[in-house]
Amino acid sequence: MESKPSTTPSSFIDQQVFPGDVVLDLSKMANQTIKLGGGLRQDGDVISVMKAGKLRFSKPNKYWVESSNKRYVPSAGDNVLGIVVDAKADNFLVDIKGPTLAFLPVLAFEGGTRRNIPKFEMGTLLYVRVVKANTGMNPELSCMDASGKAAEYGPLKEGFMFESSTGLSRTLLSSPTCPVLETLGKKLAFEIAVGLNGRVWVNAASPSIVVLVANTIMKTESLSPVQQKIKVESLMQRMR
Amino acid sequence: MDLEREGGRGANQLRPIDCSRNVLSRAHGSASCSHGETRVLAAVYGPKAGTKKNENPEKACIEVIWKPKSGQIGKPEKEFEMILKRTLQNICLLNVHPNTTTSIIVQVVHDDGSLLPCAIHAACAALIDAGIPLKYLAVSISCCLTESGKILLDPNKLEEQKTKAFVCLAFPSSVHSVLTEGSINGIITSLTHGVMAGLCLFFNTVDDYFQCVEQGRAAITPLSNILKKKLQSQSAE
Repeated sequence: MESKPSTTPSSFIDQQVFPGDVVLDLSKMANQTIKLGGGLRQDGDVISVMKAGKLRFSKPNKYWVESSNKRYVPSAGDNVLGIVVDAKADNFLVDIKGPTLAFLPVLAFEGGTRRNIPKFEMGTLLYVRVVKANTGMNPELSCMDASGKAAEYGPLKEGFMFESSTGLSRTLLSSPTCPVLETLGKKLAFEIAVGLNGRVWVNAASPSIVVLVANTIMKTESLSPVQQKIKVESLMQRMR
Repeated sequence: MDLEREGGRGANQLRPIDCSRNVLSRAHGSASCSHGETRVLAAVYGPKAGTKKNENPEKACIEVIWKPKSGQIGKPEKEFEMILKRTLQNICLLNVHPNTTTSIIVQVVHDDGSLLPCAIHAACAALIDAGIPLKYLAVSISCCLTESGKILLDPNKLEEQKTKAFVCLAFPSSVHSVLTEGSINGIITSLTHGVMAGLCLFFNTVDDYFQCVEQGRAAITPLSNILKKKLQSQSAE
């Protein structure tokens, strides 16, 4: 392999990286704290890439690899859509598209006591928050926010849920508002819940609006913002 | 004396390689790879909870299922499964998701020689597509040894059947690095078949093998670049 003496970490930022690529040499950066996000690992004195994707950097010292997959890697603080698989004595077992099932404690609801445990059937769709996600352990969920209030978490009734990639979820949740949602929102009235694990739930007054919103989101995933606006407007024209 | 190869290929020349990701909509990761006429499709499901009974629960478990183009599953398929499993176990990071199983299903679409390298490339691309953490990628090459002692890279089916010996090697791929020195050395997998009889004395056989390894190593960097370019052009939005 030929050596590249002029390669600095900044030349890899916003570039496509593959597993095995070495992006940082820690022996050259003394007395600095670096935060590593997903997709990177420390291998002795170097930081190398675990997953293929774009390397991102945010000041002052955070590096991570951004990739879009069909499966989700649980991390604390994320809002996800889970499906109840089983109910045990202390927890509900919830599938969040991760490597293992997640536990939702039976008391993790606002005003939850042993007397008013909610009854979720198998297949119930829930909007939950990931509280803990450590390697080797099942992730823990909660239907309350950090201060103990219910805050929109809980079962989602009616509507339609579809699955897509984690990249699409991040685009839909980006701020400023993603062009697709903005253009759809100007003419249509609908409710939407986006889980960072690649699940999206849509609800509206009539099924045709739900179908239109869901199809639009799925079809415009790989388009640029300008193309998205054009495509959305053409799809809405067909409806009127 | 087979000095002329089909299509006018040189001894060190590889067939055109094509690789595409995300070909199956239901699989968590999928890829299709072709070396000339040989085509292999790979699908990855996982990581899923739970390991098999005799596997170490502190590590992730990898399961390979090899599906031939036709016929029932027998010993040759089991052998391919075992080889692929050992190769992939070397490149995957097994302690990121302990107590999980990742299943890789390899379907042979057409076999025109050099099947195992094609399968290794397809499986690696499918693992990348699924987002399974990897240490590095594997590139693989097969070479066959003619009676005159010549080494031909990437043989097709006719060449494989005519020659007496063939070797299949898998190496860690070349990487982009900020380090100025230190590349990954070593061989991940080596599979030999047949008798390498040199023309004169006995010790030629070992030299022939090492020469195959050297020629294979020389082909790592161009092969890695081709694969990365193919995979890159699809993931960029």
